[in-house]
Amino acid sequence: MFHVTCMIAVRRLLAAIPTLLLLALVVFVVLRLLPVDPLATMLPPSATAADAAAMRQQLGLDQPIPVQFLIWLRDAASGSLGTSINFRQPVTGLIVAALPATIELALLGLILALFISIPGGVLAYVLHVRKRETAADVGVTVLQSVPAFLWGLLLIIVFGVLWPVLPFSGRIADDITLPGLTGFALVDLLIKGRFDAWLSALSHLLLPALALALGFAPLVIRVLRSSLIDAAREPYVEVARLRGVPESRILWRHMLKNAALPTITMIGVQFGFLFGSALLVEMIFGFPGIGNLMVQAVKGNDMPLIQGIALLFCVLMLAINAIVDVLYVLMNPRLRVS
Amino acid sequence: MTERTDASAFPLLASTSCTPPDLKRRTLLGGLAATGLASLLPWQHALAQGTDRATLSIAYPTDVPTWDPEAVTIPNIQGIYQSVFDSPLRFSPDGRLQARQFKEWRWTDNTATRLEVTLRDDIVFHDGSRMTMEDVKFSLLERGRADKKLVIGAMLTTLADVEIKSPTRGVLVYSRPTPTAPIYLAFMAAYIVPKAYLTKVGADGFNAAPVGAGPYRMAEHQRGSRIVLEAFDKYWGGMAPIRQVILQIVPEPSARVALAESGRVGMALQLPVREMQRLAGKPTLKTKIAPVSEIYMLRLPSYVPALENEHVRAALHLAIDKAALSKAFYAGVAQPLSVLAPKGAPASAPDFNYPFDKARAISELQAAGYSTAKPLSLTLLSTNGAFPSDYDMARAIAQMWKGIGINATIEETTPAKLVEAAQNGKLAGPLLYSWANSTADPEIFAGRILDPRLRFSTWKDMALGPRIDSLIAEPDETKRLDGYKALNIEASEKSWAIPLLQAVTTVAYASALQPQLFNSGYLIPAEYKYL
Repeated sequence: MFHVTCMIAVRRLLAAIPTLLLLALVVFVVLRLLPVDPLATMLPPSATAADAAAMRQQLGLDQPIPVQFLIWLRDAASGSLGTSINFRQPVTGLIVAALPATIELALLGLILALFISIPGGVLAYVLHVRKRETAADVGVTVLQSVPAFLWGLLLIIVFGVLWPVLPFSGRIADDITLPGLTGFALVDLLIKGRFDAWLSALSHLLLPALALALGFAPLVIRVLRSSLIDAAREPYVEVARLRGVPESRILWRHMLKNAALPTITMIGVQFGFLFGSALLVEMIFGFPGIGNLMVQAVKGNDMPLIQGIALLFCVLMLAINAIVDVLYVLMNPRLRVS
Repeated sequence: MTERTDASAFPLLASTSCTPPDLKRRTLLGGLAATGLASLLPWQHALAQGTDRATLSIAYPTDVPTWDPEAVTIPNIQGIYQSVFDSPLRFSPDGRLQARQFKEWRWTDNTATRLEVTLRDDIVFHDGSRMTMEDVKFSLLERGRADKKLVIGAMLTTLADVEIKSPTRGVLVYSRPTPTAPIYLAFMAAYIVPKAYLTKVGADGFNAAPVGAGPYRMAEHQRGSRIVLEAFDKYWGGMAPIRQVILQIVPEPSARVALAESGRVGMALQLPVREMQRLAGKPTLKTKIAPVSEIYMLRLPSYVPALENEHVRAALHLAIDKAALSKAFYAGVAQPLSVLAPKGAPASAPDFNYPFDKARAISELQAAGYSTAKPLSLTLLSTNGAFPSDYDMARAIAQMWKGIGINATIEETTPAKLVEAAQNGKLAGPLLYSWANSTADPEIFAGRILDPRLRFSTWKDMALGPRIDSLIAEPDETKRLDGYKALNIEASEKSWAIPLLQAVTTVAYASALQPQLFNSGYLIPAEYKYL
């Protein structure tokens, strides 16, 4: 099984290379064709056209687009994504510094979403069986209609202002400094054995992660419910019932396992969008991740940084798809054979 | 196989007895509730913010992109730069030019080309080294020449040399008369950085660990999240009363309001005007809506055919009820303007008033051949969120114009897009714009706004170039200001640009805090203290 899994992973990675090149080209060209000036916010009002030309030359923006792309591609192959125009720092360094925060946030968001959606999906299924699904439908539709950033604002009002039990700004309390070992606050603080600080970091993650989770969970609930309805029609369920297996065991042990396959596919696809939602959620919660960095890059028309982050999203999506494929094979023996 | 309904497939689930799924659901719901409550309880201790009187947390909308203060000209972060680097000169809270690191400055000639400056002899950088004229020369002259990516070169274009007479005395030599040179030493990018340290660690090293000579040193910067400033005990002006300032970077205005309202920060800036009245009702908070040295205006591209017509421009101008805009969007605090300068600024022409006169606007438009029956169509460009209520104001202006026979289609744009369009002469119509100028000097208001040679000028009357040049080089201050006053009045009368309102800033702070607000709008926490 390990061999098969590795084969799939390698095949996926190889297939990702042309995709990545194509995406890089598209993003690069589109950014250069936009009618925006990357120097707009950099130069003072007194700057003349000559000042702008001098800066443009220093930044390499005076070269033809194909030349700029080839230079960028050559540098990217050696791990350099250029220098951010606004931050005056290597793009790779900025991304590496911000990425752990977003991954941490997205993963906790995913965990919370699963905590909400697995019981929620089962409950929706049970209500369906009992012909009381209208209530579940209304609840899920309401949840689905509210985007993650709006959840963020609502959570801030409820848990930050009206019932102020959770922090809603930044990554950790003001009086604590993150150690900065791996960039993952929860991991670093555990390594350092600073449990109070670890709790602080976790509490700062909760509201933004919950905002992401509440935006994400309704989709999973719907898919899981549908998958359970499909699974209920399978012969093995009837067989299990005839053998006297308790209904709860049939549901949690057998049906749920089979219903998990389409749900995992959906989670895999949507996990990429979870990163997209993180963009606004991070801004609302002043959370220093990739989303926040992207907002600053877009505001400043920082093309090398936008390009780098866009490429990162492509890589993440491809990686997530590869992981989902592998998981799918691991959970479905029939695919292993084929 | 017989097809069955889902309910019939699960007879046990359909019964009313205590079924396993029923139990599961309860267990599940109970578990969720317990988990939720349990997860909330332990965190309360983690909420403690720095509430002692030595610390101040501030919810701030803008992060610092680089710690090289000579690299960018972003008005919002100049207060942070001044806190870390100080500045050679500074504008006082009410807008007067004051000594800071330069304790004296004077022209040694009559043509404003040689500015003698005396540096304080007690300025120490955060690394313990002493500031000298070598640092001044390196910062104001040499860095801009060596690296064209730094904006300091574009800010001090006429600075030709810095003659060092002693470690604390020197002469700034300008290539042509530059009577306004001192104001640029209190403006953006003109900060003194330590030559030895920067040369040793390089630009990247400096960006990572900046060393200034300001009242605070940068102790920590989590990009996009927070900046921690700690008071510098060897600051020449004495240690700041508030020992630690934590700037929480919160771009979302609603979140800044929530932080102020919940008492998690001692101060929150740039809040929506509509929230200020509500926050003012909180006993623990004080609020202020204060005018700053920034103006909102309509910039008119001279190359748009309809705007070449003086009657059309007059109609556009006369039809705008500026007082109504102020009342609707800025709580009536934003002063309506008749010229391209805030009230009380030099060359602001207090006796001149450009009226709101709808009847005259209609007759001016008729003189240009348009009316409500034969309306003029225009594109009105506006940003959305670049400054408070910008897009709302554009919509209100479009409505005012509609009343006289001008159909304006609002096109949303971004600062970067409009600079690109302005550079290429492709602005489609009037542009709603905000112009910040912490110095309030007319050279940086009308002088820059109307200079046809600048890369994003919109009114391209080339005859204005020599006129502005002569004002820039005019060493007689009275003549210079009179010249700009005349330019301001003419620009308004002929509507080369349409001044609208003086900008305002909003701030909410803890009742115990006593902040000193600056006319520049800059955040200067070294001037704050607790009561």
